[in-house]
Amino acid sequence: MVNDLLTSPPGWIHAAIFLGLGACLLVIVLGFVTYAILAERKVLGFMQLRPGPNRVGGRFGLLQTVADVMKLLIKEDTIPKAADKPLFVLAPVLAFAPAFMVLAAIPFSDHLKFSDLSIGLLYYIAISGITTVGILMAGWASNNKYSLLGGMRSAAQMISYEIPLVVSVVGVIMFSGSLNLTEIVEGQKTVAYMFLSPLGFIVFLISSIAELNRTPFDLPEAESELVAGYHVEYSGFRWAFFMLTEYVYLFAMAALTTVLFLGGWNPVPFLGFIPGIIWFALKFSLIVFFMIWVRGTMPRLRADQLMEFAWKVLLPVALLNIFVSAVVKELFLR
Amino acid sequence: MTGESIAFFILALTAIAGGVMMINMSNVIHMVVALVFTFLAIAGIYITLSAEFVAAVQVLIYSGAITIIMLFGIMLTRHERMTEWKLPKMTVLLSGAGILVFFLIMFFGINRLSLGNPATDLHIDNTKKIGVELYSKYVIPFELTSVLLLVALIGAIVIAKRDDEKEAGK
Repeated sequence: MVNDLLTSPPGWIHAAIFLGLGACLLVIVLGFVTYAILAERKVLGFMQLRPGPNRVGGRFGLLQTVADVMKLLIKEDTIPKAADKPLFVLAPVLAFAPAFMVLAAIPFSDHLKFSDLSIGLLYYIAISGITTVGILMAGWASNNKYSLLGGMRSAAQMISYEIPLVVSVVGVIMFSGSLNLTEIVEGQKTVAYMFLSPLGFIVFLISSIAELNRTPFDLPEAESELVAGYHVEYSGFRWAFFMLTEYVYLFAMAALTTVLFLGGWNPVPFLGFIPGIIWFALKFSLIVFFMIWVRGTMPRLRADQLMEFAWKVLLPVALLNIFVSAVVKELFLR
Repeated sequence: MTGESIAFFILALTAIAGGVMMINMSNVIHMVVALVFTFLAIAGIYITLSAEFVAAVQVLIYSGAITIIMLFGIMLTRHERMTEWKLPKMTVLLSGAGILVFFLIMFFGINRLSLGNPATDLHIDNTKKIGVELYSKYVIPFELTSVLLLVALIGAIVIAKRDDEKEAGK
């Protein structure tokens, strides 16, 4: 259905349909965020031998996040007196909008996709860079030393880890010969790229966790040193936007990892009778669980270790991965 | 009026508004933010020309990387609020006349310009075409640029390193 829409000439009806589809996706993503937060708290709880949220909404705390969001929405919306007001207001928007925009490029299954960009991968990487500007702006506009430090750290970290992230993907681009995410998935019909470029997969996974500012790379919001990082001064709905950005990026990054390395909607051999979208959801959930697992396991890095790790370990390994991928392609995939 | 021209007008207006705001604002950070919108609008114009590769690179390099480097530069260095100064009347008049002449030249130049028949199939697979061109026709300039960038990178490291040693020496 979407394929027909994408190839037919545009018009007002198309705009309306795409707006409706976008709204549907937004609702799905909000649902994901609600339960991803609950899942994170539950899984972390189990890992730390405690039950996690278990009061609101039955035994499993199913309505806990809903209650939290309600609380956020009715909180007082404060803007500090010394803050730079226009930037303070603009920053959450500038941080969130790209997070939702990148979802447009991701194909969820053979038929369920919102676009067929020839440069899908590049689009994702380019757009997600704008969020950094939003975070830096939030840190600066709050006029608070902790926010500024948090914003700076976040920007430095996101720039540093963007490089190994992009370089690690070059192997995948070489194998598939395309930047189009749909074609990348179709190139993995026989074997997923995580087996063809395992080095790239590991580097990508590590740098994606760093890009998401999650433990062990959550220095921008290290609460023991920076109170809460770039969003110290934010409250209520604006703060919720930053939280939302974080979890929408978790959604997007897990989806991108699935598409690039785990073979997207392609089934595991002999299990082809299960529909593609379920395979996508399974692989996607695996990545999300892995992120939560890492958060429950690893301690936080120190700032200098963080930078050293990106430039002295990840980048050389990613470059090596390009070389190895080229050799593998020339020798085995001709 | 087609949708394409509407999109162009919106994007062009955003780009110009961003530029004007950047010149007129007094706060440096606000200027950079205005600049981001100009960059994004220009990327949008590239998309209306179906040059999506250039658009993505524009967003990646300009709106992302260069803006953040500028913000870092501004935030990490000490800067006093710039005091506004009045330009002498003569300067304003002369530069105004210069701008007028430039505009007239450009206006008539563009009006008379003819580019021949526009290419019709450049937008198909343009990422691939750029790659092929770059690695076949322009391989030497491309390699020279990469050497230049490498030299700049090493230069930056050397300069940073020297500062470090001086501080350690003290």
